[in-house]
Amino acid sequence: MITVFIEPDNETLHFERLKTVLLLQQRLGLRVNDALVIRGDMLLTPDCRLQDGDEIRIRKVISTG
Amino acid sequence: MKCRKCKAPAEIDLPSHNTACCRACFAEYFTGQVDKAIRHHGLINPGERVLVALSGGKDSLSLMLELSRQGYDVTGLHVDLGIPVSSAAARAKVENFCTARGLKLKVVELIKEGLPIPDVKQYIHRPICSACGKIKRHWFNRVALTDGFQVLATGHNLDDEVARLFANTLRWDAGYLSDQGPCLAAESGFARKIKPLYRLTEFETACYAFLNGIEIHTAPCPYSSGATFTGHKKLWSDLEYTSPGTKIAFYDGFLKRGRPAFAQVDKDQGRAVAPCTTCASPTSTGVCGVCRLKIAVTERRAADPDRQTDPDRQ
Ligand code: SF4
Ligand SMILES: [Zn+2]
Ligand SMILES: [Zn+2]
Repeated sequence: MITVFIEPDNETLHFERLKTVLLLQQRLGLRVNDALVIRGDMLLTPDCRLQDGDEIRIRKVISTG
Repeated sequence: MKCRKCKAPAEIDLPSHNTACCRACFAEYFTGQVDKAIRHHGLINPGERVLVALSGGKDSLSLMLELSRQGYDVTGLHVDLGIPVSSAAARAKVENFCTARGLKLKVVELIKEGLPIPDVKQYIHRPICSACGKIKRHWFNRVALTDGFQVLATGHNLDDEVARLFANTLRWDAGYLSDQGPCLAAESGFARKIKPLYRLTEFETACYAFLNGIEIHTAPCPYSSGATFTGHKKLWSDLEYTSPGTKIAFYDGFLKRGRPAFAQVDKDQGRAVAPCTTCASPTSTGVCGVCRLKIAVTERRAADPDRQTDPDRQ
């Protein structure tokens, strides 16, 4: 299972079996540069593989300014 | 995915530039884009003092950090809007950031100045964000002027600039189209206004803030409406996705070919500017717009029965 925390919505989602960051982004309706995908202190590119037990932080970047 | 430049594992995929970067090469790329903006448009001259408007968001704090790293003489300016909860949180982020990195900071408190945003919202019947923006700009200009800064820098990024240009274009607003850009020359008592991040997208400044461990203020303002700009930004996100590079091409094309034409048209339409009779800020209306706002808020607050038991409330 993969745990995904979404900012700034402060929402936590769980996914079974998502192989890559790209699939996660597609599931969330996000394009490659719409949000940072963070694991620990690293940024992930769309091709990165996700592992069971991963905790991922999605930080959306579009501001309302 | 590998870094296009050094082949280390990439952390940042940038399809708009047909590249991907590791964090070291991204830092170089970011610095290069800011440096290019500064040199290409003469944003900062040697020895000039730069006042950086700090909201607490990713763009302004990233800008402050990058300019200080490039050796510019920067001082931050934060305007504390006096909005319950959200203003204190934003201010704390700014103060912690500047303290931790040894950067100079000035804070203007609108409560002390008699014009907190909640009072403006209560007593002035016009969209709060337009009044708030006007008040913030007023204080940035005023501090730059009174404290001897030649340059006033803001964290507007490429997405902000493209969204604004797009909105101005939809209205064919010749006045704005004549001078929108990364550099607004000093004139009539205003400092030069610059946008050194204009070549970098919102995604890129967010990456920079994250990679540099900058803690940012993200909680939305309680008065925020989810403005129309966001709608335009979504539209541009779609365009950029199908044709990478469209944003910067649109904006650079405007600077090269659009703006000069509008500047020509707008040339003879300026109005005479003189110091505000109350605060000395340059204005074409005798008493400047913000001083007029303050007079109106003060009068209505004084006449408000709910506020009269509480005369010392600042
Ligand atoms: S959203 Fe809040 S801080 Fe931003 S301009 Fe409007 S009132 Fe001011
Ligand atoms: Zn590299
Ligand atoms: Zn004034």
